[in-house]
Amino acid sequence: MATAQKYAYNVEQRALEEGDRPRRFLEAFGAILEHGNYNLALDTYARTSAKCGRCAASCQLYEATGAEEDIPCNRSELLFRVYRRYFTTAGIARARLFGGFTLTDEYIDEMAEAFWRCTACRRCKDTCPVGIDHGLVTHLARWALSEVDLIPRALLVSVREQLEGKTGNTSAIPLPALKDTCEFLSEELQDIYHVDIEYPFDVEGAEYVFFPAVSDYLMEADTLMGNAALMHVTDASWTIGTGDYDGINYGLFYSDRMMERIVRNMVKETQRLGGRKILVGECGHATRSAWYVPAFGGPDAPPVVNCLEYAYDMLEQGRIPLKPEKIPERVTYHDPCNIARAGRITEQPREVLKAICADYVEMTPNRTENYCCGGGGGTVSIDEIRAFRTGPLGRRKADQIRDTGAELVVSPCANCKKQLRELCQDNDLDDVEVVGLHDLLLRVIDFGVPEPSESEEEADDETEAVRAVDA
Amino acid sequence: MDAWLQLARGPLFWAALVFMLLGLGRHLVLTLWEGARAYRRAGDKDVPGRKIVADTVRWLVPTRTLRDRWPYSITTLLFHVGVILVPLFLAGHIALWKGALGFGWPALPNTVSTTLTLVVLAAAVAIVVQRVVVKESRVLSRFQDYAIPLLIAVAFGSGFMVMHPAWNPFGRDPTLLVHVLSGDLLLFLTPVTKLSHMVLLPLTQLVSQLAWHFPPDAGERVGVALGKESEPI
Repeated sequence: MATAQKYAYNVEQRALEEGDRPRRFLEAFGAILEHGNYNLALDTYARTSAKCGRCAASCQLYEATGAEEDIPCNRSELLFRVYRRYFTTAGIARARLFGGFTLTDEYIDEMAEAFWRCTACRRCKDTCPVGIDHGLVTHLARWALSEVDLIPRALLVSVREQLEGKTGNTSAIPLPALKDTCEFLSEELQDIYHVDIEYPFDVEGAEYVFFPAVSDYLMEADTLMGNAALMHVTDASWTIGTGDYDGINYGLFYSDRMMERIVRNMVKETQRLGGRKILVGECGHATRSAWYVPAFGGPDAPPVVNCLEYAYDMLEQGRIPLKPEKIPERVTYHDPCNIARAGRITEQPREVLKAICADYVEMTPNRTENYCCGGGGGTVSIDEIRAFRTGPLGRRKADQIRDTGAELVVSPCANCKKQLRELCQDNDLDDVEVVGLHDLLLRVIDFGVPEPSESEEEADDETEAVRAVDA
Repeated sequence: MDAWLQLARGPLFWAALVFMLLGLGRHLVLTLWEGARAYRRAGDKDVPGRKIVADTVRWLVPTRTLRDRWPYSITTLLFHVGVILVPLFLAGHIALWKGALGFGWPALPNTVSTTLTLVVLAAAVAIVVQRVVVKESRVLSRFQDYAIPLLIAVAFGSGFMVMHPAWNPFGRDPTLLVHVLSGDLLLFLTPVTKLSHMVLLPLTQLVSQLAWHFPPDAGERVGVALGKESEPI
């Protein structure tokens, strides 16, 4: 389908063709308020908003641009105004008596730009004196906008493939290709670490059913090898489901209607396999979406474990055999907003890193007060706004990384990793390598296999050479 | 003048007070009612009560938020201390309540009330000045954001002059009338302006958490309501 270039991001042509958007937007907004749980929050925020502007001091985007439209409270007011005018008695009465604000196509365009300049990192929530969660407002506004087709095309096509496509995943990886990739990763583990580790498929009754960001199979070989290695050395019972192997849930970024379906598919696949727990890979938004399993998955929904929590538990129990040598490079940790902002996963990865790194340093601020990588809220998938992401949106993070002097930045999130790599490329941080936590774990796990001696390695090389000649 | 004063201190005051109490009570009841409904609809009933209480207390004791834009934060903090304490614990006000209700409560020493009044006056002016000077505040500000601190300044300034005739260039009664009328107006405006945060602020954290607790089929229902249940993505 053709795309249109009206906004900073591409949308599908139908977003511009279908008329009467204000009426359709209001219908969608009304339905969301009626069936969702947002109405009370929106009403409270719209009443109490103090308009002090203190949120601006905590927003990395506003810090960089200084533009009025990037003040979180200003952006949220765009939706509050629609709410007050069309969904409160006072607003309706005032409009009948005195006229005033009317929702127009231009106003919808303004919202479509504003709510996609925000990464929904929710940092400003912690500085709002009345406690307005501007991230929630962005989340809600994007859902209403999506119902008039205003969705970045990059996210839309991914969700379409995941829910309606042949492959059933956002990266469109067919099952045979996935299996080939896993075989290749097993061979790599054998070649590099001399250990036999298989990626188990469709094992019934496994304790953990594994849902990484499916893009890891294309981009993060070391992370996935680290995941498998950790499960191997801890004797875990785990499996990858062939019916659904994608933890990504872009519904979180633009539509609860989609998020709900994706979460349910994950639960269905786990139940099909008789799995006991959902294990989410290194991905912030996939983890946060999976935390909605109890909301959407029904009373028998399986519990959700993030792989960082698993790694920490295993470390605490002394079940990860580690080599005596630690990672020598200077290492720092970037907190993915979706797992750190609410304080749910902040200490576990740090404890693991402190145990395996000789020179671990923090970036400041960190944990619940971290700065977003600049690619949050789905914006990292929108390639056409890269200059914006690695410029004004990400500059603060680039400065933070530079200040640590770290050679390795660990971020256990597929989206953050992609953004941070592009950020480093575009901000003269060429010497910085962005890795996952399991990438480093893989380097220090002691598999109990003796390191091959130099003569053995030479013999192996010769054998390989002979095979190559024979071939 | 006396008749105006009687009107302002009598029927107008009671009407404004009742309007405020009913309005704030309505906010409180509706918020709790809607909150309970949101909880019943939520698919995941595990609402982190302890975290909500901790966050709420942290917001009410704004130590963390003082770090960003500290001049503004300190100004507003001092402003709130005075605005809450003086009207409730001024000896003169308590004497009036005692006359009307038959009982009173301990009062602040007049020197403390006077000091707090001066703090409120200075803070109200500083808040308005900062709203004008600081770009982030200026671009957001509505009429009420300027009018309410100024109206509070009028109420406190006139109250100060009533208490300290030596500083009052006007007559006592006109000043008292301004004091009472501005107070009445503030009471009246409380439920219909951002002043309603006096009852809603302690509930914001709860309300936000409940919004993130989705009903299990909200998306599906929205799809049906919009006729999109079988529409391709």
